[in-house]
Amino acid sequence: MYTLALLNGGVGTRVAAGQPKQLIRVNHIPAMIYPLIAVDDIPEIDQIILNFPAGWEDTMRKLVADYAIKTPITYVEGGDTRHASVRSMLEHCDNEHVILHETARPLVTKAEFEALIAADKDNVSFMLEIPFTVAPVDPDTQQVTGSLERARLRNVQLPQKFRKTTLEAGHAYAQKEDVVFTEDATLCAVAGADVYYIPGNDRNFKVTTKTDVRLAGYLLAGDDDDA
Amino acid sequence: MRKTILISGASKGIGLATAERFFREDNDVTDYVLLARKSDDFAEAEKELLADNPFGKKVFCYEIDLNDRDAIGQLMPKIIEKHGNIEFLVNNAGYTAPDPIHEIDFGDFERTIGVNLYAPFLIVQHLLHLGNTFEYIVNVASTAGITGRSGWLTYSSSKAALIAMSQVLKEELAIYGTRVITISPGRCATALRRKLAPDEDPTTIMQPEDVADAIRMLTSPVGRYVDSENLVVRL
Ligand SMILES: NC(=O)c1ccc[n+]([C@@H]2O[C@H](COP(=O)([O-])OP(=O)(O)OC[C@H]3O[C@@H](n4cnc5c(N)ncnc54)[C@H](OP(=O)(O)O)[C@@H]3O)[C@@H](O)[C@H]2O)c1
Repeated sequence: MYTLALLNGGVGTRVAAGQPKQLIRVNHIPAMIYPLIAVDDIPEIDQIILNFPAGWEDTMRKLVADYAIKTPITYVEGGDTRHASVRSMLEHCDNEHVILHETARPLVTKAEFEALIAADKDNVSFMLEIPFTVAPVDPDTQQVTGSLERARLRNVQLPQKFRKTTLEAGHAYAQKEDVVFTEDATLCAVAGADVYYIPGNDRNFKVTTKTDVRLAGYLLAGDDDDA
Repeated sequence: MRKTILISGASKGIGLATAERFFREDNDVTDYVLLARKSDDFAEAEKELLADNPFGKKVFCYEIDLNDRDAIGQLMPKIIEKHGNIEFLVNNAGYTAPDPIHEIDFGDFERTIGVNLYAPFLIVQHLLHLGNTFEYIVNVASTAGITGRSGWLTYSSSKAALIAMSQVLKEELAIYGTRVITISPGRCATALRRKLAPDEDPTTIMQPEDVADAIRMLTSPVGRYVDSENLVVRL
């Protein structure tokens, strides 16, 4: 069985000074609701850990009730860093296998979660080929320091799945070495675990800017079917 | 597998014809949850269905005034408790008492909106909150919701709002894979039509069974290709 640990930046910056922070919504539906609905009917996922930003627990609980999410949910307050958030979620994880996702990727599908679960390795991430060229540079001198082979690089996506002990070991490693990673697949790989990838879909992009939100809304509405 | 259909306003007219159309067909819709107010028509409708029941299906009649919000709020949990998931919903119950603006009694306007708009909204919202997942929802609107005619202010407004609500639900419920189907019949020989056009010969216009056939088509697999818009059916 799997636990879905849902990282929840969830709450955007203030729209204007003096106004409270707001939930990120796509087509007016909170972004966090999309992945919750996507996994709700997947029998292999029998626990969800929902990370909430400080002060937002009541709002999250009300939304989960309004949208009638059936899978049992454990609410865990987010930490100061991503590392801290993942670590505190792991403490509440009742299963041997964890799926990590983030609410900022509302276009994820049920089929993607199912494909991840079906992948035969323990530690697997969705990753995408990179359609552009990236260069290694020295930002201080603005000097280009070499070249990178695009075919050997991937854009790291979510969701990812890990054996719980692997993820715990990865985070223990980061703490011990005092290094910060922005995501967990490379963290676990650097910490010594075998981590694999399966090809993702570019629809499942991370919604960060206002333009992303509009683009996601457009894709979700499926208005692109006229001949 | 047993599947359940809930049809509002199933005591007569288009609602009853729709219940009969599904009931007498060899399909997976085995349980019929029918709503209307208490009446001889409703009792008769139940008897009539069960009198010719070739596939051993079940009928459950619930007496309710759909203009009563609290009653809807109380009935929906009972229905879920007894029947489990409602796969199919046909919001068909409708009410009109046509009057020109100078004569409209506000209470009657509220009643029209209550039955034609708030009731379908409340049924869907309560069922969603109870964790129900619909395969499809059919909202029976009306051509009166597209074109207004003298005397139909309350009715046309309610149906225009129902058409708009359906469009919104279609988008919002897409994440659950729910199809939201909107059908707008033109004039059809029922009690409601007699109120709108008392002098008309009902044998010359569309019959409730014809609308029921159109609803059946819309809910069938081929209906997927037709249901992107509010579908007008008229003679
Ligand atoms: N006939 C037409 O020309 C036409 C055209 C376009 C659209 N429509 C729509 O088709 C739908 C069905 O109407 P119909 O023509 O078949 O009319 P009908 O024969 O008068 O049937 C109306 C149904 O709605 C139910 N209903 C009305 N008020 C209710 C209330 N307060 N609580 C519970 N149930 C209530 C009635 O049940 P009780 O009265 O027994 O409670 C009856 O079952 C309506 O939405 C109507 O607007 C009809």
